[in-house]
Amino acid sequence: MAAARQSLAPGDDDLQNPKISAAALDFLLIELVPLAQRITEQLHAREQTLQAEYNRSRAIASSVKPVPPDVPAKEENGSNTTLSAHAGAKTNGSVKGSVTGTVGDETATVTSLGFPAMSEETREGVFFRLDGLGYRVGQGLVERFSANKPRASTPLEAIKFICKDLWILVFRKQIDNLKTNHRGVFVLTDNRFQPLGRMSVDRRAGPRASEDALARAQSYLYFPCGLIRGALASLGVEATVEAVSSDIPTATFHIKTKGSKP
Amino acid sequence: MESRSPSIAAIAVIGRYNNPLHISLFPATGPNYEQERDRLEYSFMVNSCLDIFEARMPAKTVGHDFGLLHAIDERIAMYGWLTNTCIKLVIVVDMEGRPATNAEAGKTAILGLRNNDLTPAFHAVQTAYIRLLRNPFYVPDEHNPKKAQGTGSLHIASPGFTKEIERIAKIWYPGITTL
Repeated sequence: MAAARQSLAPGDDDLQNPKISAAALDFLLIELVPLAQRITEQLHAREQTLQAEYNRSRAIASSVKPVPPDVPAKEENGSNTTLSAHAGAKTNGSVKGSVTGTVGDETATVTSLGFPAMSEETREGVFFRLDGLGYRVGQGLVERFSANKPRASTPLEAIKFICKDLWILVFRKQIDNLKTNHRGVFVLTDNRFQPLGRMSVDRRAGPRASEDALARAQSYLYFPCGLIRGALASLGVEATVEAVSSDIPTATFHIKTKGSKP
Repeated sequence: MESRSPSIAAIAVIGRYNNPLHISLFPATGPNYEQERDRLEYSFMVNSCLDIFEARMPAKTVGHDFGLLHAIDERIAMYGWLTNTCIKLVIVVDMEGRPATNAEAGKTAILGLRNNDLTPAFHAVQTAYIRLLRNPFYVPDEHNPKKAQGTGSLHIASPGFTKEIERIAKIWYPGITTL
């Protein structure tokens, strides 16, 4: 028994009696979105510089026909780095097929409230990043918190576990509404989704303001999407999850399990 | 003949797709010898448990403890546990795995294990697995045969996890309440 106690590091927490500050989790969730955006943009910019360099070195190599010994080496170098940059970007989850995005335009476009708008491509990258993070967190959470719960043998039970247990743990309330067509499609509605709970629409800014607010709130739904997907994957249900917010504090999650019929 | 008491011979962690994630073997010990266990033999033995899990799963909707799966002979028996995430834990018990420390312990080899003698050990293994999932360097999908992209081993390589499993096997004895 003494050995058991000694093996636990003094800072190690008690699994059965966890303590977490809800505010800390909120701050983390808030900070995650701009972080993902910055990472995606930086990777994108780096990829473009490398691509430009590669193009330039190729132009030099093709213009100088009798190849001097140092130029092919340089070209090879250039192509290598570009390849690795591509590989790096892909493994990191920001999928970009072509390098045609325009960073210059991106920083110039600004929403009516003066916040930089995300281009479609950046949005995609941010989505992949946040969804992946949420996926891993969901897997861990389910492993940890389903330990003392009855086993979910059907997809519906797995969804119910998410609505009741997981949602309370992460967002401090239950899902308000669960709809299903009993053929693999589930729609979860949270009337006051906690990450969106403190957001507001600037009514003075005219009709476009609420559209802007919704567009900006959208990126805060990607992480919870991944969370649901990871939790379901751990419980043995493969699914795709999409989230939309039609009005600010409400969020709707559409879950389509694999092989479902609409 | 010296009296012997039960010990854990092997602990196996098996993933959702019946992929082995971890198998640890522990030798039978005596006063001055250690009898190693054959890895292949134990791998087959653990494999033979999988069908029993499969067969019992539909009937067993409540609880994680699958109890005694089957016994190979008078010495070796296998016990199972299934988590909600379909991770199967198998503990192989050697009824004569170590010398008995006192007369009471010597009797268990003859009387057999009680139903919940292994529960603390399973709880401890599950806790170790949960701890492993909280390790940011452990990516569950890299150990999933359906999703792993590389050709690397699907086994759990975390030294902390291995050490914890070893600790559980070493200190477990029938009747222990917490590990």
